[in-house]
Amino acid sequence: MKKYLYAFKFEVMTTLQYAFNFIGKMVSLFLMIFVFMNLWNFMYDDPSQAINGYTKFQMIWYVSISELIYFVTRGRQTCEEISKHIKSGNIAYTINKPYDYVVYTLFTLLGRSFVSSAFYTTFIMIIGSAFTGALPALTMVELLATVLVFALAVTISLLLVIAIGLFSFIFEDSSPMYWIYSKIWLICGTLFPIEFFPVWAQNILKFTPVYVITGPSRLIVNFTVEGFVETLIAQIIYLIFTVGLCELVYRKGMKKLNVNGG
Amino acid sequence: MLTAAKNQIKVTILTTKYAVMREMLNKATFLSNVIFMILNNSTFLIQWFLLLSIKESIGGYDIHKILYLWGLASLSYGFAHFFFKGAFHIGELINEGKLDSYMVQPKNILISVSTSSCSPSAMGDIIYGFVLFFVNQPSVLNFFLYTLFGITGALIIVLNSLSFWFARTDSIADAGMNLMTTFATYPGTIFKGVTKIILYTVVPLGATAYIPIDVLTNFDWKYTLIILGFTILFVFLAFFIFYRGLKRYASSNLMSARI
Amino acid sequence: MNIIKVSNLSKTFKVKLKDKGLKGSLKSIFKTKYKEVHAVKNISFEVEEGEMVAFIGPNGAGKSTTIKMLTGILYPDAGEINILGIDPRKDRKKLAYNIGTVFGQKEQLWTHLTPYDNFRFFGAIYDIPNDKIVTKIKEFTELFGLEEFINTPVRNLSLGQRIRCEIVASLIHEPKILFLDEPTIGLDPVVKQNIRSLIKKMNKELNTTVFLTSHDVSDIEKLCKRVIIINNGDIVLDDTMENLKYHYFNKKVIEAKLAADVNVAEIAGVDIEKQKGTNYKLSVDTTITSVAEVLKRLRLENLEDISISSIPLETIISDIYKRKN
Repeated sequence: MKKYLYAFKFEVMTTLQYAFNFIGKMVSLFLMIFVFMNLWNFMYDDPSQAINGYTKFQMIWYVSISELIYFVTRGRQTCEEISKHIKSGNIAYTINKPYDYVVYTLFTLLGRSFVSSAFYTTFIMIIGSAFTGALPALTMVELLATVLVFALAVTISLLLVIAIGLFSFIFEDSSPMYWIYSKIWLICGTLFPIEFFPVWAQNILKFTPVYVITGPSRLIVNFTVEGFVETLIAQIIYLIFTVGLCELVYRKGMKKLNVNGG
Repeated sequence: MLTAAKNQIKVTILTTKYAVMREMLNKATFLSNVIFMILNNSTFLIQWFLLLSIKESIGGYDIHKILYLWGLASLSYGFAHFFFKGAFHIGELINEGKLDSYMVQPKNILISVSTSSCSPSAMGDIIYGFVLFFVNQPSVLNFFLYTLFGITGALIIVLNSLSFWFARTDSIADAGMNLMTTFATYPGTIFKGVTKIILYTVVPLGATAYIPIDVLTNFDWKYTLIILGFTILFVFLAFFIFYRGLKRYASSNLMSARI
Repeated sequence: MNIIKVSNLSKTFKVKLKDKGLKGSLKSIFKTKYKEVHAVKNISFEVEEGEMVAFIGPNGAGKSTTIKMLTGILYPDAGEINILGIDPRKDRKKLAYNIGTVFGQKEQLWTHLTPYDNFRFFGAIYDIPNDKIVTKIKEFTELFGLEEFINTPVRNLSLGQRIRCEIVASLIHEPKILFLDEPTIGLDPVVKQNIRSLIKKMNKELNTTVFLTSHDVSDIEKLCKRVIIINNGDIVLDDTMENLKYHYFNKKVIEAKLAADVNVAEIAGVDIEKQKGTNYKLSVDTTITSVAEVLKRLRLENLEDISISSIPLETIISDIYKRKN
């Protein structure tokens, strides 16, 4: 366990080194939210109107938080890194290492996410309140609960990206897969809450990982104890599932690698 | 003077041809990249379906204008990344030592850099752009205009990206690109005040999207010429910025800026 | 006639510094500390047309920095460079027509094309008319022995064949000067030998001036008549290979196996490098005594085996590096 914590710490240090890079990303994040703020300002005739159960205030915060998770995951680049690792054959060297590749990669990514979450969340709090005039109202307990759900959401999101990256063992280029995944994630959860979709689509989406990853956003704008419990349970199930998926693909892939001689 | 230009064009055509050939070596991969990009772009139609079901026209943009907006953005982006991908990866080129190689060749460095690589998925963007055109009130005049604006849009995108490189951080350049693509697919009319001004000038979506779309729905000579003029101006500006950046690179005293 | 003239050339770099650990990482966000690295310190030299000059030094000595300044990729902080009457900083394009460059393992060729197509492409870059380029390619193919693979895509060539094509591509416009920055780095000895003979031939047949940087000493030994040694940004030696070998170290190495032991330590001008029983490795200072004299003292009939050699260039050069430090 110690070695994974060390990987976490090391990645935190490395990420801090490139703190300057966050500024560029924060600008992008700002722009995304800015565009949507304008869009929803336009769509809502007055602030008390609710579209599909969400007021303008809730919509803007929803988009902000889910974009936050999207940015923290940094999916495209992570996926490419793992893909490159596999395509170059460097991953073969990990078989000799005394750690589990999936867990190690996860902890490294968590280290990075820890730092980026800190930066982005502070940033979101500032611009969110500037755009909407207030922070979402949550009690201390509700806030802690949300943080837990947030951490789990990021973890699951990272594991999914790792899984897609690992699919490079099977499909040479997994970036098309990532595009489709990220687009669905973007449209069907990040930019629009599930409630915006026709009922039949909602029932399907409820079982997809997008639902558990956007859990925190739903809870922040509308915290209910049942919502919290439902999301938590779904997340735990998904956590087990995604870890299993990653390990499965990794092991199958490494076997294939060995058979072919690397 | 003229022979120099002829020679430059000859080399540029060869370079572009070879960059594209290199991507087409694996036909299956090339095709899957193209197809996935088309699918990728189509998913955004869901977004507009949802929005238009709430309100029939958003910011004065009905379904036709939205299709033009999307199609043109896709086409410009596609042209830019298929033919001039190198301009978006100057940081990488520097790290691989390729920029140095171009600096010791007696040809225009900016053009060499820009045409040095090709993104196969961008062909998907180009195809998608044209598909959206054909499902949306096609006419001969509009086809010509649409393609023209696709090209001017591409040039502006490339040159805008270069000016971000000049700011010397890869992540700022990325953010700059993001900026353009993020805003490009939303009707300009939802923005007000200062934002609008910025969008028409610094991030010239006015020239790449808003005005072209107006011209496509209501043809106007004046505005077409304005767009062309703007593009030419931008081209000159970009060469200027690039060479300034290059001078800075060559005078650089920061170890981290070069390998 | 001077083809390259460098006067008082200097270049300094700034490198970021960071303290250890997590605290250090946090600190470095707010205050960046820099260290100055004087890569090139006030160097001057001249090269004549047709010369083969070796520009050598240990890692980080300033070799690549210098060659980048000579080719116009990097601007000096101070000093002047004059190549064929051109200032690389001011007339980059004009200079580009007259020089060729090969940088280490950085490939310039299109890997999916054949060497033939690549040469045509580079011909276009240097504005060489079609008919002329075809003849030139034919000439070079013969001269440098590329017939076997001239029509095989570059990615299917062996490393040695590839690098030969890279070098020929950089010669296709018959530049007056060829700059090579670590051309044999990472290559096996057979390929290295191959490249060296190519460069030699080019210098002989085309009178191309060669400016070669390397930290492979055998490259230098086999190719160049003139050596400039740079270390820590300073030129520590600028002399002919001959002078280097015979005047800097007047030493010979004798490895002898003796039948009966002799008091070797007594012989003046002789140092015992290694001894195992009656097997000796001796270095002889030829300013004090001569090889012949030493052999006499060892007594010919006493010699079971003998081998006499010069000090390897490698040793000479690393001693020079150490000395000037």
